[in-house]
Amino acid sequence: MSHLGERVSALVDGELNHHERERALAHLTFCADCRSEVEAMRALKGRLRALPGPSMPTDLTMSLLRMGEPGGPLPPRMRPFPDGSSQEKSAPAFGGVSLPGPYSFAPVDNRPRRGVGFGLTGPGRGQRSSTRRKVGYVAAGVASAAVAIGTLFVVGGSDPKPVVPPVEMFKQQHNTTVPYGTPASAVPRP
Amino acid sequence: MSRLPTAAVASAAVLLLVLAVTGGSAHAAAPDDNETDDSGLALLRQAAGAARAESYYGTQFVTSWSPHGSVSSLIEITSTPGLGMTVRPTVTDPEASGTLERVDPASPAGGLVAPQDEMIDVMARNYQVVAAGGGQVCGRPSSVVHVVRPGGADAARYWIDDASGVILRREILDGRGRLASASAFIDFRSTAAAPKIAAATDTSVYAAPDVLALQAKGWTFPSVLPGRLELFSASEAEGGYLRLGYSDGLSVISVFVQPGTLDEEGLGGWRSERRGGHTIWVRDSVEQELIWASGGHVYTVFTDAPADMVDAAVAALPHDPEPGVWERLGRGAQAVFAWVNPFE
Repeated sequence: MSHLGERVSALVDGELNHHERERALAHLTFCADCRSEVEAMRALKGRLRALPGPSMPTDLTMSLLRMGEPGGPLPPRMRPFPDGSSQEKSAPAFGGVSLPGPYSFAPVDNRPRRGVGFGLTGPGRGQRSSTRRKVGYVAAGVASAAVAIGTLFVVGGSDPKPVVPPVEMFKQQHNTTVPYGTPASAVPRP
Repeated sequence: MSRLPTAAVASAAVLLLVLAVTGGSAHAAAPDDNETDDSGLALLRQAAGAARAESYYGTQFVTSWSPHGSVSSLIEITSTPGLGMTVRPTVTDPEASGTLERVDPASPAGGLVAPQDEMIDVMARNYQVVAAGGGQVCGRPSSVVHVVRPGGADAARYWIDDASGVILRREILDGRGRLASASAFIDFRSTAAAPKIAAATDTSVYAAPDVLALQAKGWTFPSVLPGRLELFSASEAEGGYLRLGYSDGLSVISVFVQPGTLDEEGLGGWRSERRGGHTIWVRDSVEQELIWASGGHVYTVFTDAPADMVDAAVAALPHDPEPGVWERLGRGAQAVFAWVNPFE
C-alpha cells in the first residue's frame, strides 16, 4: 500500500468509510511518515478550532438593525407601568429579580438597588425617584384638570350682561303682530 | 296711549254704561236656536272680512281693567279698503298731537277686529261661539255674539253692525266674568256711498313656528300656556332675542326673551311687584306690560289678555335664579360635546 497522501485529511476528519478507515489504520502501523503526517494534521485542526470566531463588522450590524425598524405591529404593551407587587405575584422571578414576560418592553433590571448591600449607591431607581415621579404625575393631573375646567368655563360663555329691554320696540312689534298671519301680511308703519 | 283726565274718563264711563245697558238687553234676549252649534262663527268671519272691505271712520273708546284700576283712551279710526286702517290717539293736551299709525285690523293695534281664519278656528276650539240676538251700538242695530267658556261663563262679547258688518264693540272678560278690556265706537260713520275698493286678498298661508330649530339653538319655551294659550309664532330676531306669540283665539300674549340680566336701574316708569316669590316689573298701560329676569334671560311680556290669564301664563314661564359657575361649566360641556358629537 502506498502512503495515505490526500486521505490523511479525510482520516482526521472521519470522512472515510469503514473499509478505507481499516486499511488506513493498518498502513499507519508500519508507516512512520504517514503516522507523523496524521498527527501533524490533527494538531493543526485542533488549533484552528480553538481560535475565536470572526467579529461582526459594525457597519453590517447597524444595517441589519435599520432593516428591522419599520417592521410589523408591535406586541401590546401589557403593563407600561408595571406594578411591583402584582409583578412579584404573577411574573417568574430569579434570585429576587423579576424576569421579563413575553411582552415586556424593557430588559431585566438587575442593577443593584439603591442602599442595598454595603451601603453603596447604584444607578437603579430608588425610593426618592419613585416619589418624584408620583409627584410629577399628580402635578400633571392637576394641570390637565385646570386646563379642562378653564376650557369649559371659557366655552360656556361669558357672564350675562345687564340689559334694559327695548320696551317701545317690543311694544310696537306686539301691536303690529297679526296672529296666525305671515309677517308679510302685517302692514308696515309708514 | 295717553292717560285721560278724570272728567274724560267719567264721561266715557257713562257712555260705556249706556252701551252696557243696551248690550245687557241683547244678552237678555232669547238664545238662538243654533246656540249650541257655534252659530256666531259665521258672523265673526263675516265681520273679519267687513273690517277690511268696508269704508268707515269713527271714534273708539278703549278701556282696560286691572286689580290696580283702569286705563282708558280715545282713538280716531279710519278704514279705507285698499289703503288699510289708520288710528290716531286723541289727546286732551292741545299742544300734543296724536301719532297717525297705519295698522292691520287683525293686529292688537287694530283692535283684533279682523282676525285670521286660523285665529277664529282656535277660538272655536277653545270656546263656544254663539249668536245671542240683537242689540244697538251708537244707535245702530247690531248682532250680538257671545264667546262662552266651557263652564258657561262669557269670555268675550261682540256687537256686529247689521248694516256694514263691522265690529262696533268688543269686550273681553276674565274667568270670574268681570270686564278685562272693552273697545267700543262712540261715534261711527259708514261711508258706504263711496265706491268700494276690493280689499286685497291675503293668499299667504300660515306656517307653524319651527320649534325644533329654535330648541336646537338652545332656546327653551313652552308650546302652550295656561288659559288655552297656544304658540302661534316663534322666531329669533336679528338682535339676538326670541319673539314668541301666544293666543287663545281672543287675546294675544307677546313674549320677548333676551340673553342677559335685568338692569333694573334702567327701568324708568316701571314698578316692581312680588308675585309667587318673584320680582315682576309692571307698567300702567291699556295693555299689560311685564318684565322679569330668569336664568340669565330677561322676559318682556305685552298682552291685552285678562289679568288672571296673564298671571297664570307668567307663572308658567321660567323664573329661575341667575346662573352660577356650575351652570356655565355645564354650558361649556354641552358645547364641547356638540363639537365632538358626529351625529349633530
